[in-house]
Formats: sequence, C-alpha cells, structure tokens
Amino acid sequence: MAERVDVCIVGSGFGGSIAAFRLAELYRAAGETPSILVLDHGPRHQHTDFRQSMDVENLSRIYGLVQGEGVQIVVGNGVGGGSNFYLAASLRSPSETFERRDHRPEDGPDRRMWPEEISRATLDPFYTRAERALRVQRPTWKQVAKSGGLWAATLDRAGHTCDRVPLAIDLDRCIQAKWCHTGCIYGAKNSVITNYLASAEEMGVEVRPNSEAELIVESQGQPYRYVVTAWELDNDGPEPTRQPTGQSFEVECKVLILAAGAMGNSPLLMRSRPALPSLSSQVGKHVGINGDHIAAIEYNEQKVRELLRLPGFGQTYKGNHITTMTYDFWAGKAGNERDGTRFTLQEIFLSTLPHILYDDGRAPSGEPSWWGLQKKQALSTFNNQIEILAMIEDTNDGEFLAAPPSGGAIRPNAGPLWVGLFNYSPSEQTVRAGEAADSAIAEVLARAGLGRFMKCTFRSANAAHPVGGCRMAESKDLGVVDHQNEVFDYPGLFCMDSSSIPTSLGVNPSLTISAVVERACQLLIERSADYGLPAKPAGFTAGVPGVHLGPHTEPIRRTSDKAIDEKVRHYEAAFP
Amino acid sequence: MLQRATALGLGALVISALPAAERIFVSEADAAVQLSDATLQAFADTMLPGRKVLTTDLGNEIHPLAIAGVNNEPGAVQADALLLYHDALIGFDALEAPFLSELSARSLTHGGSFLSLGFEQRVEVCLEGLAPSNPTVLVWEAAAAVPFTAFLASAEQSEATIDTSSAYQVMGYPGTAANGYGEFSYKRKLSTELTKHGYLA
Repeated sequence: MAERVDVCIVGSGFGGSIAAFRLAELYRAAGETPSILVLDHGPRHQHTDFRQSMDVENLSRIYGLVQGEGVQIVVGNGVGGGSNFYLAASLRSPSETFERRDHRPEDGPDRRMWPEEISRATLDPFYTRAERALRVQRPTWKQVAKSGGLWAATLDRAGHTCDRVPLAIDLDRCIQAKWCHTGCIYGAKNSVITNYLASAEEMGVEVRPNSEAELIVESQGQPYRYVVTAWELDNDGPEPTRQPTGQSFEVECKVLILAAGAMGNSPLLMRSRPALPSLSSQVGKHVGINGDHIAAIEYNEQKVRELLRLPGFGQTYKGNHITTMTYDFWAGKAGNERDGTRFTLQEIFLSTLPHILYDDGRAPSGEPSWWGLQKKQALSTFNNQIEILAMIEDTNDGEFLAAPPSGGAIRPNAGPLWVGLFNYSPSEQTVRAGEAADSAIAEVLARAGLGRFMKCTFRSANAAHPVGGCRMAESKDLGVVDHQNEVFDYPGLFCMDSSSIPTSLGVNPSLTISAVVERACQLLIERSADYGLPAKPAGFTAGVPGVHLGPHTEPIRRTSDKAIDEKVRHYEAAFP
Repeated sequence: MLQRATALGLGALVISALPAAERIFVSEADAAVQLSDATLQAFADTMLPGRKVLTTDLGNEIHPLAIAGVNNEPGAVQADALLLYHDALIGFDALEAPFLSELSARSLTHGGSFLSLGFEQRVEVCLEGLAPSNPTVLVWEAAAAVPFTAFLASAEQSEATIDTSSAYQVMGYPGTAANGYGEFSYKRKLSTELTKHGYLA
C-alpha cells in the first residue's frame, strides 16, 4: 500500500526546496500541516558536515561526476543538491536570453525559444523574491578577491568594463577561504539547506534522504494522480556502497514535482514513459551546459606590478570564487540577428582539478602538451593563474540516449565517477561562440600585455551547469512543460528545476532557475484547490525563509596572511 | 591536445574504456605485482615528472627505477598516484592488466621494459599510446588521468595542506584553510562598471 501525501517532490536542490517552502507556506496560511514529502537520492548534509578537501572519499560523498559521450557534468549529491556546492554568483539573465530565436535547424520552426509568457520583465518580481530568500549581496571593491580584481584591472587596461558580481553569501560571515566547491563549513554561503529547505522542514515538510525515485505511474485513486516508486540507497554508514539496498516504497500524491535536475528528470521520465505514454517526444532532448566554456590565464607577476601597479599577485587561493565579470561582449548586441554571438567572461575558481585542462602552449611541436615535463612546469605557476568562465549562447546540444536501470546515471562503484547515458555534440554555432570567447580573452591579454592565454584543450566538454531535457515551450511538439512548468497532458505533474530551462543564460543559472520555480509556485498556488490542495487564503503573500545554521564553531577569519603567504613563497623557493 | 582524460572524468573513463581494454592481449609475464606497481609509478612519472625520492607523501614505497628524475620538484608518484590507481572508489584495477600489457609491448619496441627505459623513450611510448589513432587510447587516457587527479586534488589525503601535500607545495596552494584569509582583496576599484546592480537589464 502506497503512503499518501498531497505533494511529493523529487529532488531537493534549488527547485525542490523552493517548491517545498512555498507550498508549505500555503498550508500554514490555510491553517493546515503541510502534507509534503521531499525525496532525495543522496545523503543528508548539514553545513557542519562539509570538509575543505578534494580527497576521493569526500568527493564520493558530495558529488556525482557524470561522464557522458562528449561531456562530463558535475552534479551535487545529497540533500540540497547543487546549492551546497555552487559558487554563489547570483545574477539575472539579460533580456536578450528570453527573446532568443536561434536553435539547431532540426529543432523545429523559427520561433522564440522561451514561451511568450516568460521574459525578463515577467521574471523580475521572482528574481527579487529569490534574491531576498538567498540573501544576495553585491561585494564592495574591498570585498572583491585579488583574482577577481586582477581580471577587472586587466580588462580596464585593455579598455573594457568589468562589473562586481552579486553573491548569495553572507560576506560578514565568510572567511574568504575559496572552498565553496566542497560546501561552506560555516554556512556563510546561502545554500537551500540553510534557508528554503530548512524553513520548509520547520513548517512540517518531511525530507527523506537516500530515497531515489525510479518510476512514475498514474494513480487510479482520485484525487491522487501519481504513484512514485522509490528505492532506498545505501549512502550512510562507515562504508556505504551507494547502491540500492533492495528496499523500496511507494508514494501516492495529488501533485508530483520533479526537481531532480537536468541530469535526473529526463532519465526518470524516460523510464516511466510506458506508464505515461502521452509524454512529449522531446523528453531527454536539448540538454545544454549553459554555454559553459572555460579557459585560464597565466599572469606575469612582474608585469602585474609594473603595469597595474598592484602589489604582486601569486594569490589565486584567496577570496570568493567569483567576484568580477565583463558584459562587454554581450551588451549592445540586441536583436535576433545577434543571437548566438553573445557571451560573458567571468573570473572563477572552479577547484584545483580543472588545471589538467589548460595548455600553456609552450610545448614544442611534436611534444606532449597536456602531460609531461612542460605540463608539470606549467602547474608550478598555478598560483599566478586565474580561470575564466565564458558563458556563451550555445544551442543545447546534448541528448539522453536511454535511462539507466536506476537513477540518473550508472554508478559503477561507491566512488564519485558515474556514467551518464547521454551524448553531447556541439553545433557549429556553439563551437564558433566558444572560439569567439577564446579570441576575446586572448585579445584582452594581448592588449593589456600581462600574461599568457591558456586554452582549454578538450574533445570532451566539462560543465557544472546542465540545463534542459524537459524544456519549457509553447507546445508539446516543441517541449515537455508549459510556461507554468507543468508537463503537457499530465495535470499535476511538474518539472520545476534546471531541466525546464530551454536556453543557456549568459550568467550562472541558479538565480534564474530559482526565479522560474518561484513563478511556477505562485501560479500553482493560484489554482491549488483545483489539485486538491488547500485553497489560497485571502491576503496570502509569499514570505522570506529564515536563516538556519546548525550547531557550529563560529568562523574566525585570519587577520594577517603573512605566515601562510611566506610559507607559499618558501616552497616556491625550495624548488628552484 | 587533451583528449577525454579529464581528471574529473576519470572513473567514468575507466568504465567506458573496458571494451577497449578487452582488445588488448594480456601477457602472463606481467603478473608480478611489484613490477606492475613499479611500472604504474613510472608511467605516472612520465605524465607528471618529479624529483627522485623513495617514499611518497603518505610514506609508501617508491620503486628505485620508477622516477626518472627529470624535474627537480615533487611529481605525481610522490603524490601517491599508485594508491589512487588501486583505490576502489576509482576502479582502475579493472583496467590495469590490459593497460600494462600494451605498455610493455610498446616499450619492447623502444628497447626494453618500460621501467628500464630512459625518460625520452618513456615519452615516446606514451605518445604512441595516447595518440588519438590508437584504438585503445581510452585506456591510456584513463591511466593518465589518475596521476593528474592524485597530484592536482591531493586525492588520497583528507584535508591536505601545503605542509602535507608535495603537490600543493609545487603549485603554491595552501589547501584546507579553516580560518580563510584576511588579506584577500586589493581593496580598491579596479575597473569602470557597465551596470548599476551587477547584471544587465
């Protein structure tokens, strides 16, 4: 016998947590206890559980590194989803994004890619709502990291502008350690486990970790509409296998909200297609990577001093991961004839690992460039290197080929490395836009005369921002969900997360995903009684989730870096 | 040109390389465990060369012939690449025998076992194995990704710091920083800005 709840939410990242919080507010306003269950396939994380470490065991606990054909995608593993490991850049996507008409020729008629109801103007109120919940603030110049400042000064010297990037970080609490990527140990970064989701739980929402939704069928028991079968995963304990335990359970619900992300929703719906035969043929298609295109710069420290009159550099490791970016290659390019040519360039620290990807171009012809002696020497200038994330207008070039037997990807062992059954083959437009971004960075450097461009050498793309697969569109022949994030022909079934985003965004995607889901929740609440949920009470307004920090040690930020900076220099000198 | 062997794609590469591994004839001559470990270390040293040492950061043994000694800084072997090769969370063990078999076969055409070759010959062998035209290149890329991950991420050390990780010493990366940094900003405006709020209209 399936357990019954009004609302079942699959996934607890930005999408699932926002839905849980907003619907919990509705129940409380109606004087009822929320009948809402959130399932997540990963373990539960408190911010106090996070560790500043890239060891394989830690990565196995918090990440899935999903290798598909042609692309590798990093996903967050655990309650809170990607919000635990994002780098907190929280930006509104430019108007042009929502007006785009470019796409692959085989991808339907010439049309606006987003449904007509969605534009920057219609999303703005929901951006505001998400910014308040995630406590977005813009760093002052005194809070901009040296690495971000260096990018700004470089652009300035080359005649460009550069803007400070708003962040979902409590900058008073932040210790500027540059360890957002394995989870903020002090809760200074505003992940959903410290706001939306924690507030939803406080209002009575149940969050069940280690529970992977595997199959959806329609319910015969009106007003219940869907039954979800979930498998329990062995994620906890001293030596977790991270595989199904053999235990399963069923949940019957009136409203089913899929928020397992662009890497999770498509496989789940594809596996369920025999029971949901009217699903759009577009499920699993048009999977993008938000136009992620990375590169790096190796600075000449002496020139930094001479030309920029900055007191040296060599301190990649300090400050927030993302603090500055330029819009100069996007702004002024309005109009559909410029679709596919715009990009932004953002200074970013992903982690130490991507430095395998950057080629300093010094290896003589015929000698290895990405391994060997020259590569080793290039790594010794690591702390004079910064990474640049170009966010280009691509054409969502990925596609799921099949659903694995369980979950969103095959987990061959208990490790962090999963195999995704999707392929990614960039279109000519995508390749061209990436090359334009590379040229722009190289030209900025040439004009500023400060360093060396390091191209990302790959035949496989690398990304942390998967979008699409269940994209929103005007009609079922073009997409999977409508502008309200409701699946065509399946009332009460929603995809409220990155999977619904139909294009790259030109900026880091978390805030736009949040705004789209905030909007979808408001529209669902307007008609909640139609689904058998409490009717929206008169005067109901959306609130702001509180900040919930676990038991913790108060952060103490180092006041002087002299000792550690000298130690870094000491080791540099030790290996002449 | 980096092919699919991104450090991040390592384990998935291991899995996707299995069919290619089956195409490699496995010779029984490579069964000796110690020799195979020494050869893996020598391969790791060819990917990210280092100075000659006899123990790793974590105190594990290094075969005296493994490190060619062409670089005067610590390399991937010192960063415990061998431990990562055998880490069950990575799963490279499934590829080890076919990889070493091909490595050995190619080495013989360059004058002997991989371990016995000089650095330049080792590079020649690896250029062949890692050539996109090699049908088993995926296996080689997986094998190459392991030392990079061991080095760049200090993947076998929990909460590594510049005091415990020789790789971080080379990179000038302090590692774990529970108290963060106070002097993290230049503290002045360094460019003109295009927007009022940090994002475009």
